[in-house]
Amino acid sequence: MSALKRVQQWATFARVWHIYDASWQNPFKSAELLKKYLMGLHKPIYHPMNDCGDHVIVINSGDIALPGDEWKRRVYFHHTGYPGGATWTLAWELHSKDPTMVLRKAVYNSMDGNLQRRYTMERLHLFPDANVPTNLLKNVSNQIQQLKAKPKRLDHYSENQVKQFPKIFDYPKDYILK
Amino acid sequence: MVFTTAINFVRARGPDEFWRKRKIFKLSAHFVGRKRNCYSIAIRYVHRALAYATKGRKLRKIDMANLWETRVRAGCEQHNINYDTFREGLVRSDILLNRKTLADLSCWEPYTFKSLTDIAKRRALDDGLAGISSDNKLDGIITKGCLNRNK
Amino acid sequence: MSLFKPTFSVLRRCVALNVSIRTSESRSIKRWVAPTLKELYRRREKVGPEPEKPRSSYLEWNYEAEVFAFGKRLGEEFDRDILKKALIQKEYANIQEIKAKETGQNLPTITDNYELIPEGDGIISSYVMTELSKKYPEDIAKAVTNYLTSEEMLSYIASHIGLKDLILTNEFPVANSTLCNTFKAVVAALKQSQNLAQAEKFIHDFVLSQLNGKNVYEIWDPKEPYKYLTRLLHQRGIKEIEPRLCNQSASNTVLACFQVGLYSNRELLGIGWGESVHIAKDTAALDAIQRVYKNYTTQLENK
Repeated sequence: MSALKRVQQWATFARVWHIYDASWQNPFKSAELLKKYLMGLHKPIYHPMNDCGDHVIVINSGDIALPGDEWKRRVYFHHTGYPGGATWTLAWELHSKDPTMVLRKAVYNSMDGNLQRRYTMERLHLFPDANVPTNLLKNVSNQIQQLKAKPKRLDHYSENQVKQFPKIFDYPKDYILK
Repeated sequence: MVFTTAINFVRARGPDEFWRKRKIFKLSAHFVGRKRNCYSIAIRYVHRALAYATKGRKLRKIDMANLWETRVRAGCEQHNINYDTFREGLVRSDILLNRKTLADLSCWEPYTFKSLTDIAKRRALDDGLAGISSDNKLDGIITKGCLNRNK
Repeated sequence: MSLFKPTFSVLRRCVALNVSIRTSESRSIKRWVAPTLKELYRRREKVGPEPEKPRSSYLEWNYEAEVFAFGKRLGEEFDRDILKKALIQKEYANIQEIKAKETGQNLPTITDNYELIPEGDGIISSYVMTELSKKYPEDIAKAVTNYLTSEEMLSYIASHIGLKDLILTNEFPVANSTLCNTFKAVVAALKQSQNLAQAEKFIHDFVLSQLNGKNVYEIWDPKEPYKYLTRLLHQRGIKEIEPRLCNQSASNTVLACFQVGLYSNRELLGIGWGESVHIAKDTAALDAIQRVYKNYTTQLENK
């Protein structure tokens, strides 16, 4: 094979590192998105035997937003294998113990349950906040767009922006707020 | 001399079983262990292998079609179009390409695939299909059909 | 028997019984066939593989007919004597002479192909070089000529034409160098039988056609592509090349991929990828060289 063909092959199958900001995102919907990149389903050259999955670095996984009252209702079951070793952990409890676990389990459970799954999960790098080691950040060459825009807090807007925002109605002047 | 009793001792034996068993051993040559060499064990696994081969012919077609579809979906995603919208747009434009061809084009002919997605987007926008909105920049895409329709 | 392939039909039992015992007939493979075949296989394995023998030692070999057929098969009119001369090796001719002297017979002088070889070599090299120079620049033409006229290639062509059975040599199996030399001698013989134009057509059909399906850039490889490119572009008036890193992915890992583009005056010369920036730059240079040479024929025509 000539040198040009060799490097063309190398470039086609090169592994890409993506970065994803999970703050204010639904972990279960994010999992569906991330698993595509981890398995290589976003590439037209996809094949399960091809090893074409990419790396994904997820930051702010401690700031994920579960829908509704999932924080209170969702339980994670674990059994140690020994008698009386069953534990039912609520989502908020798990999150306080390890902020990356909810998203990690979400991604794991969204994948097909085949032997590739554990190896594919190795390519997912979760960080609870934005502190990522620099040697990992140097590899990154793409950012995955967030599913839902991160809402801005009211006190983070400037006074001018708040005043100029169009109002549908306002309280009557003699109305007394409690 | 005529031996009239000798003929009674001649037994008719069946054909040599070597050849019948050889037909099975040829098929079990790549198996592991006794399944390869011992007839009564090999015959079971050979029958199973043949049955799997028969069923697998149908499954292979299904698997290949699924793989092609996955690849076309990936290609569509790269061009910001929904797969169903893409297929519908192509069919309405009389481009009746199958999944296999579309998958090959998405891998090997990226410019051709882009032009196909453009045609599909244009048609989807004109027909008002759900997947496309006029937010997508489609002003640069003009097809012969769209000119006739706009008349 | 050297070509002994036992099949069911070869071994036939001689039925030499004086007493007729009426048995029922069975059409299946007889019980004695399998053990006999096994025994024969065992014996054959024990003795070892059959040594390869030249075709001329087998039955139905008519050298005159084969030499005649050789020319006809290739569609070329050869002068019989010159062709025969081209097929005899010098060492073989010497041994024949020595044998003739020992036995005391006076055989006619056996000519050999010693003079024909360099003549044929010259014809082939010059024709291939001229043909390739029409399409490719000098460096590539030289490299491809070396590839096509190498011993390996010519011996491959010779053995597939049928010269392996026709050559008269002392050694068996016929060495690659002998095949190569004989091919050259045959080309020279064709030139002497007919004319240079016919010989050149022959070379075109058999030697140049080996390029079918091959990429010329797999055969030719400049050692330091970037330096070669700078020299090449200097000749065409482009003084400065600007290499730029276009893309990179996974730069800290083993599977790093860098994309380098070579630009001159904001115009793209070539793109290349590589495991490191250095390799990517080299492949970009190779790509630039190929782009420059792609328009070589059109440049020549315009001249």
